[in-house]
Amino acid sequence: MTPAPSPAVAITGLGVLTPLADRPEALAAALLEGRSAIAPAAELGGAGLSRMADDFDPARYANIRGLRLYSRATKLGICAVRLALDDAKLDAAACPSEQLGTVTASTLGHVETLFEYDRSVVAAGPLRGNPALMPLALPSSPGAAVALSFVAKAFSMSLSDAGTSSLDALGLGARLVAAGRARACVVVGTAALCADLSAAASKAGLLAPAEAFRVLDRRRRGTALGEGAAAVVLERAEEALARGARLRAIVAGQATAFAPGPADRAGALRRACGQALADAGLTPGEVALVSAGLSGGEGDRAEAVALLGLLGESAGRTPLLAPKASLGETLDAAGLLQALAALAALSSGKAPPIPRLEDPDPPGLCTPRTAAPVAGAHALVTATAHTGGCAALVLTVPHG
Amino acid sequence: MSRRVAITGCGVVSAAGNDLERFWSGLMAGTCRIGPLRGFSCTGMEGLLGSEVELLPEDALPPEIDSDPYRSRCLHLALAATRRAVAAAGLPADAAARERTGVSLGSTMAEERQVSDLDDRLAATGPDAIDAGFLARADNHRLAATLARIHGLGGPVLLSSTACSSGNAALATAYDLVASGAAEAMVAGGADTFTRAVFTGFLRLGALSKGICRPFDKRRDGVTFGEAAGMLVLEDLERARRRGAPILAEVAGYGVSNDAYHITAPEPNGDGFARAMRQALATTGIPQDEVDYVSAHGTGTPYNDLGETRAVKAVFGEGARALAMSSIKSMLGHTNGAASAVEAIACALALVHQAVPPTANLEEPDPECDLDYVPGVGRSARVRTCLNLSAGFGGFNVCLVLRRAP
Repeated sequence: MTPAPSPAVAITGLGVLTPLADRPEALAAALLEGRSAIAPAAELGGAGLSRMADDFDPARYANIRGLRLYSRATKLGICAVRLALDDAKLDAAACPSEQLGTVTASTLGHVETLFEYDRSVVAAGPLRGNPALMPLALPSSPGAAVALSFVAKAFSMSLSDAGTSSLDALGLGARLVAAGRARACVVVGTAALCADLSAAASKAGLLAPAEAFRVLDRRRRGTALGEGAAAVVLERAEEALARGARLRAIVAGQATAFAPGPADRAGALRRACGQALADAGLTPGEVALVSAGLSGGEGDRAEAVALLGLLGESAGRTPLLAPKASLGETLDAAGLLQALAALAALSSGKAPPIPRLEDPDPPGLCTPRTAAPVAGAHALVTATAHTGGCAALVLTVPHG
Repeated sequence: MSRRVAITGCGVVSAAGNDLERFWSGLMAGTCRIGPLRGFSCTGMEGLLGSEVELLPEDALPPEIDSDPYRSRCLHLALAATRRAVAAAGLPADAAARERTGVSLGSTMAEERQVSDLDDRLAATGPDAIDAGFLARADNHRLAATLARIHGLGGPVLLSSTACSSGNAALATAYDLVASGAAEAMVAGGADTFTRAVFTGFLRLGALSKGICRPFDKRRDGVTFGEAAGMLVLEDLERARRRGAPILAEVAGYGVSNDAYHITAPEPNGDGFARAMRQALATTGIPQDEVDYVSAHGTGTPYNDLGETRAVKAVFGEGARALAMSSIKSMLGHTNGAASAVEAIACALALVHQAVPPTANLEEPDPECDLDYVPGVGRSARVRTCLNLSAGFGGFNVCLVLRRAP
């Protein structure tokens, strides 16, 4: 979406909350082991879901006033932000309130509260709806709650771009930080399971039975919904180094394109990838790994076709990551979760396997059955949305 | 951020009219468009007031959307405004240019009515009312995506939701994309319609006016809602010149801030507004004394209008009294996410016509709101630079800067 931010923008903190792990290192280890959080949901006829443990308690992660009222997606997002800020060691001394910005990716994170509020009105009448819920029923409410919780006064932007939300949000945050509109910015993507939305997905035939859930495989039968959140702290690299922060990665390029029709999707994703790589000053051959948005759904083919075309002769040797095979489709959190998985693989030099992928369709990409070596510093992260959005992100891990 | 950004087309659908001429002349005359609602009702709430859009035959939906039983009013408004903006800009039709053009739409409530309509069906018929298409319809990105699909656009397609500053947030985001060269043009703005959540919620929060919206008036008692869509074509100025496009005004930049104060209430001294304005001036390099008009957020709530007035005084000092500052919400009501986009169009027209629109219904001045709010009717004025202020629940502040076409 944006030319390589100048000055360079770095990721200095990571926060993650998924059914598999609540630390980036633990998530990386779980993915390397090929673990999956997908389990059958009785209420959906055995369709696969990836959901947080029943005893998940957001108050364990974030001591925030009013947390109880927030939607589940908002709670997950707030927890991920807390973890990312702690990881970055970004306190008020390093970044005063007026210099902290937020960008939140949430498309459906308010719907649970909107239902709750609206049903209180339907049941009790318009004069008796719960007024405390109404402001939390807006699509902007996860972003508002994040800004309020962490007293982030520089700016708070909020994108609802479906499957490309968190990559778009990361691009927007990087641009705002590069332009000096904040000293630091937390970008968070969050999604929670919501019974009504899951029921609609099931009726639409989008969900695979848990035991049949596979991404990119010839036998794929649909997707699995998941919940979770991921957050990153962005700072201008030079200032981050000056305060002694650890640079996890440089945001080297980000771009978003749109496919007016399903047949245009591979082309649009390839354009987004091309633009993000050009911003980063890289050729496709320099990409060490691709962390893809493959979800078992309708977008898998287009994404694979785009990557085959983009990578050309290096397609067969550039390891492909598919975190949704383990975590399900987490929509607004997905792109950032993929980015975190990519960073872990670059840092460790090991790409995790893609669980249950045996017969790639189309073939030709490097889809490890066991952990595979990764050599290089640059990762490409890709995402597509059923609405037609196609996004790409290039991350570079600094040497040393 | 090296490219300059021109506004080469605007499209509006509003209670003041669906073409720019009627819209502008209605605003300048100070005609209040708020009246009893005919097209929207809310069981248990009688006598709802608001400003409604009358869609014209040329605003008809494409057949494949019109035949959808769940078709969305918000989408309809956005499509109508987009079609008008794209036509006014004469946006190039070749595939290569459309591939480098995107959409940035802001909406406060977006597809809320898909949820409340489903709730009504669930109450009437039981759990089977959840249908296969609901997930796709509840996805607000579909609004922006449909605009792009209908116009064959292949650039970035984004949906901003920062409550009632959504239109300005979408415009600011679009500005950055064009200024940075990531897109050659962006069709950007906002759209919203009436929703049950907004009417009942504002009523319960004590923020819904018992009558009509009276920004800055001593008797102001809250918001009156409206529906609208406003879309602008933001385009690389050099490209616009090369193709001989109409250049209405320039978007010079923007400022952003968050109150981080309360989930609904604005910071009482307008500190967030002030920080957004200061950043807008600092990042654009425009001197304070070149700002002639401030398009106020001006919702007609006691707190907003006072905080906004204090913020303008804090930023401009004595210069605040030389500014014209008005709220067209006095005529159109608060159109939520559309409001700041429609107000951006009013700013562009103020720059074109060298005139400022008024604040209607301002009859008994509030001693604490003592700036020049252009009461009653509009007037001719020198207008070099406009600040378009907006704020939203959750403290989202955005200030867009527009200046005369170069």
